[in-house]
Amino acid sequence: MSSVTIENVTKAFGSTVVLEKFDAVFENGEFITLLGPSGCGKTTMLRIVAGFEKPTAGTVRFDDRVVSSEKVFLPPEKRDIGMVFQSYAVWPHMTVYENVAYPLTIKKVDKAAIKQKVDRVLAAVHLSQYADRIPSQLSGGQQQRVALARALVAEPALLLLDEPLSNLDAKLRESMRFEIKEIQKEYGITVMYVTHDQTEAMAMSDRIVVINRGVIQQIGSPREIYTQPANPFVADFVGKIEFVEGIAKDGVIELNGCGQKLPYDGELKGEVIVGIRPEQITYAAEGEGELSGVVKTHFYLGDVDDCRIDLGGGAEVRVIADPFESRGVSAGKQVSLKVRNFHVFAKQEGEDFRKILT
Amino acid sequence: MQVQTEIKTRNAAEIRCKLGLVLFLLLSFALIAAGLWGIDQYNESGFDQEAAYGYIHKLSGEVDSLYENGILPVMNGMDAGMKTAIEQRSRELLQDAWTSAAKEDRAAAVDTYLSAASDPAREQMELLSLTYSVAGPKVSSKEKKAMAAMTDAERADFRAQVLAGVADETAALPELAASAVEGEEGLDRAGKLMQLFLTSVNADSEPLTTDNVNGIKKAARSADARIAAYGMTADGSVSWVSQLVLSRSKTVILAGVVLLFDIILLFFLLKADNSWHMNIKWIVILAIVDFLVMFQVMPLVYLVIRAFFPEGSFTFEVFKRLYTYPMNLGALSNTLIAAAATMVLGTLLAFPLAWLVGRTNLYGKKFFRSLFVLTYMVPPYLGAMAWLRLLNPNVGTINVILRTLFGLSDAPGPLNIYSLGGMIWVLTTFYYPYAFITISRAMEKMDPSLEEASRVSGASPITTVFKITLPMMTPSLIAGALLVFVCAASCYGIPSIIGAPGKVHTVTTRIIEYNGIGAQGLSDATGLSVFLMLIAIVVLYISDFVIAKKQYITVSGKSTRPNIVDLGKWRVLLTALVGLFATIVILIPFATILTTSFKVDLGRSLLDPTNITLGHWQTIFTRSETLECLKNSLIFGAVTATVGIVIACTMSYLLQRTRIRGRKIPDFLITLGSGTPSVVIALGLIMTMKGDFGVNIYNTAYIMIIAYLIKYLMMGMRTVVSAMSQIHVSLEECSQISGASWTKTMFKITGPLIFPSIAAGWFLIFIPSFYELSMTALLYSNSTKTIGFQLYEYWTFTSQQQASAMAFGILIIVVAINFLLNKLTKGEFSI
Repeated sequence: MSSVTIENVTKAFGSTVVLEKFDAVFENGEFITLLGPSGCGKTTMLRIVAGFEKPTAGTVRFDDRVVSSEKVFLPPEKRDIGMVFQSYAVWPHMTVYENVAYPLTIKKVDKAAIKQKVDRVLAAVHLSQYADRIPSQLSGGQQQRVALARALVAEPALLLLDEPLSNLDAKLRESMRFEIKEIQKEYGITVMYVTHDQTEAMAMSDRIVVINRGVIQQIGSPREIYTQPANPFVADFVGKIEFVEGIAKDGVIELNGCGQKLPYDGELKGEVIVGIRPEQITYAAEGEGELSGVVKTHFYLGDVDDCRIDLGGGAEVRVIADPFESRGVSAGKQVSLKVRNFHVFAKQEGEDFRKILT
Repeated sequence: MQVQTEIKTRNAAEIRCKLGLVLFLLLSFALIAAGLWGIDQYNESGFDQEAAYGYIHKLSGEVDSLYENGILPVMNGMDAGMKTAIEQRSRELLQDAWTSAAKEDRAAAVDTYLSAASDPAREQMELLSLTYSVAGPKVSSKEKKAMAAMTDAERADFRAQVLAGVADETAALPELAASAVEGEEGLDRAGKLMQLFLTSVNADSEPLTTDNVNGIKKAARSADARIAAYGMTADGSVSWVSQLVLSRSKTVILAGVVLLFDIILLFFLLKADNSWHMNIKWIVILAIVDFLVMFQVMPLVYLVIRAFFPEGSFTFEVFKRLYTYPMNLGALSNTLIAAAATMVLGTLLAFPLAWLVGRTNLYGKKFFRSLFVLTYMVPPYLGAMAWLRLLNPNVGTINVILRTLFGLSDAPGPLNIYSLGGMIWVLTTFYYPYAFITISRAMEKMDPSLEEASRVSGASPITTVFKITLPMMTPSLIAGALLVFVCAASCYGIPSIIGAPGKVHTVTTRIIEYNGIGAQGLSDATGLSVFLMLIAIVVLYISDFVIAKKQYITVSGKSTRPNIVDLGKWRVLLTALVGLFATIVILIPFATILTTSFKVDLGRSLLDPTNITLGHWQTIFTRSETLECLKNSLIFGAVTATVGIVIACTMSYLLQRTRIRGRKIPDFLITLGSGTPSVVIALGLIMTMKGDFGVNIYNTAYIMIIAYLIKYLMMGMRTVVSAMSQIHVSLEECSQISGASWTKTMFKITGPLIFPSIAAGWFLIFIPSFYELSMTALLYSNSTKTIGFQLYEYWTFTSQQQASAMAFGILIIVVAINFLLNKLTKGEFSI
């Protein structure tokens, strides 16, 4: 078990900068998820921590031990880590037992101890009865658990998981989430988890690091990330949201185009971006809501009603409401909307926030 | 109701299909029966060659037109008395000609023959013109020229006068004819005049086509047969059908047998499919299978049969004789030792090289990689030639340097290329790339996270190589090693250049020597071939059917960049080592070839300016024979590669995009062909393609192209197949959904995507065909010599300098074509 300190890590391949001044501290025993769209640099960060990539600049420390800096570079085998790869990387020429025992064999642990530890970890991943199989006889989910067992068997200080669930089907993915979480608790290990799936990140993590274009956007607990997104990208990447531009002045935000107003007592002035999540809006009796508009599209999905409301002048919001509440709403109808909460971001000059997603 | 209709349609289709099968079955029987009848006729006829029937047929047409256009108009212009006189005289001439041909009185035979004819006058003239074409009085070329110079009117006059002279000795003759028959009288005079007349009909050449006339002469060596041929020709009794059957009866039987084979195969395919619905793809498969069965399977089977049944009955005599002869035993053990040593050394070199070049931060990786692959494209005999110059015990450059360095006496040595060790060394330097390429490819395909997983598990890079990389690579390693073994065992170029002077014989050199010495030699050659074939089949079986099953599928879905191992402090040292290896194995030999090509005197160094000449280069560029050979090689290579790549693309499509039953049959045969040693393929073709089995392509370009195809087709096919397997079928489906037809999809989507591989496949067939030596040494004829063989001849018999110039020229051509294809495919082409 150890903490991980990443200081000012920058990584460039030639002239392409994939990570820029990455700064983060992961606590002992924490479950950290690096979340971001593909190509954002999250896997590169993981591989830097693992020791497969040498950062162009910056330092990585496990507890007080420097594993990577300008002067020091510890190869992966000296870092005392476990890692699960996206492709599982289960060795096809060894049995399940041999695969899992490998890290201990390398450390020249005596045979009885190996047996005891492998048996324990195989039991933890529910693979005890498959010990003598060869990997090609296992399903994808089982191979994935072999990889997990192999990463855990030497009781490393740090466990790295590189999109381990992305090759599994939806049902299995969901149950594996809980299994990984359980095992992490059992072993009390620090976990660094890479994914592009926000649900996975929300469900498993103690803290999430949202990354875009090699730059950390926000670090926080799932709740913080969702309820207090640092910028429109985070708000958009985690959960659903619609943006409307407006101008903040005199305790209100006047939405561009439609001229409707939302009450606002925050610090921002001038041009702002208002982000409203669909579940933050409810239908109100006529004249009672802050906003009003015409229903543009209406999808009945059984558990919810999913509508797009045209506020006028190009401004649109999305409302996902309990069908019970939204009775009578249908395309073309005039509705009144009550906004329970919304996010306000300063507008960055020259940048189209909608295009932040790579 | 609808179901019933479906069943009905299905039944109708099934009945049509079965009916078709039966019809073709009957056709095949008919062909075989016709062919057998033809052979029967032929056996009775006394002809030496079946082709005689062909010449007879062609000549009968010519004789007819000669009579109609040449003789009849002149005769018609004459009065009846003259006509009768000429006919009378012609009969005498004919009787005389036949009598002198058969060396016995044939006057009666002529009478009997003509009395049975429907138009005796016509047939008599035709018979005479034919007989005279084959065995008539000579007309000098001066006379021919004079006749050719006449105007049409003059010639008409000339003809009438000469023909009159045949009947009437007193008639006035034109000057030319008069001087031609001066001093002759009686039948001799008439015969000469008749021949002049006949020749004047087609004055600028012989009256009948010389080739056809010679064909008859050759085919009907006995007088009786020849006279029978005249008769058949004159009465035009050979219809085109019987001519076809008679002159090509073995080919007709072959066609029947092939058709029968196809029908049986098709029947089993249909039966297994149980749809009884004819599929056009089967025709394609059958066509490829037919080709391979005829030119590959049949010769190999014949070779084995011939080895065990040399005189028609089963015996081990051949093997007893062969394998009790010490030189052969030596050749066998040399072959096995050399191949095994080359395999071990080659693999030991190839694995670390492949790893260093593919998986580490070695300096100049790309350069080294292309350098090693380059060796793969160079003819092996080129290496033998270079090493001969370097390690000749007396004058070899390295030996001279070693002697000077260590102050040794001037005695030969210390190294001697003319030895088994020397041969192994050269074989290794030229065949390790086969293992290198196989292993490199497998390494590139291996999911790098398999190694990374080992690293995070605490294993050092070296431990990872031994515990993970090496075991995972084992199947490819064995496959590469076996490939080296087979190539080394069946190589002819290197042993022929190094082994022959050093008396180090191998099975291949023995086979080619035996082939040159008569019928028993041929039997012995087959006996040795069976040994080589056995090796190849065992190896092929192991690598394709045992190891292939163990091949771990390690191709990752999303591949990251391969894990590059940092060599750290070893980086410089290892780069230097690899560089040293490349210098010794590639640069020095090539440089030697180049410098040799500029030397006046082999013994002296190029530092002496009087020893430098461009003469050898000039010679090879101006000597028409060399240019002719180069042209042959380029044509044969290009034709082989083009035909090969068409088959390769067809097979790739069938293998990758269809589930048609039977698609694996040609695949299997092609694999078998490429595994068969070159000399064995060539020997099999020589023994079966001389016409005894209905195909006569001996001494032609076809036999060489076919041999090259059988040997090298697989290289092209594998390349295209693997490219196609990497293109997901959805790309094609998407194109079709977008409205493109199948053809358009192939040309717009699949074609462009796999084009680099098609180019690479073409190149992989072209290159070895271009410089081939082993098969060419057995199959060449004077008009089909290739540059590889020419080079070998020059090296052995003429001038090593000129051979070196030629060798370097080949190297330049190979590199140039490689460069060209690289440009053409925008750099995507690679081997």
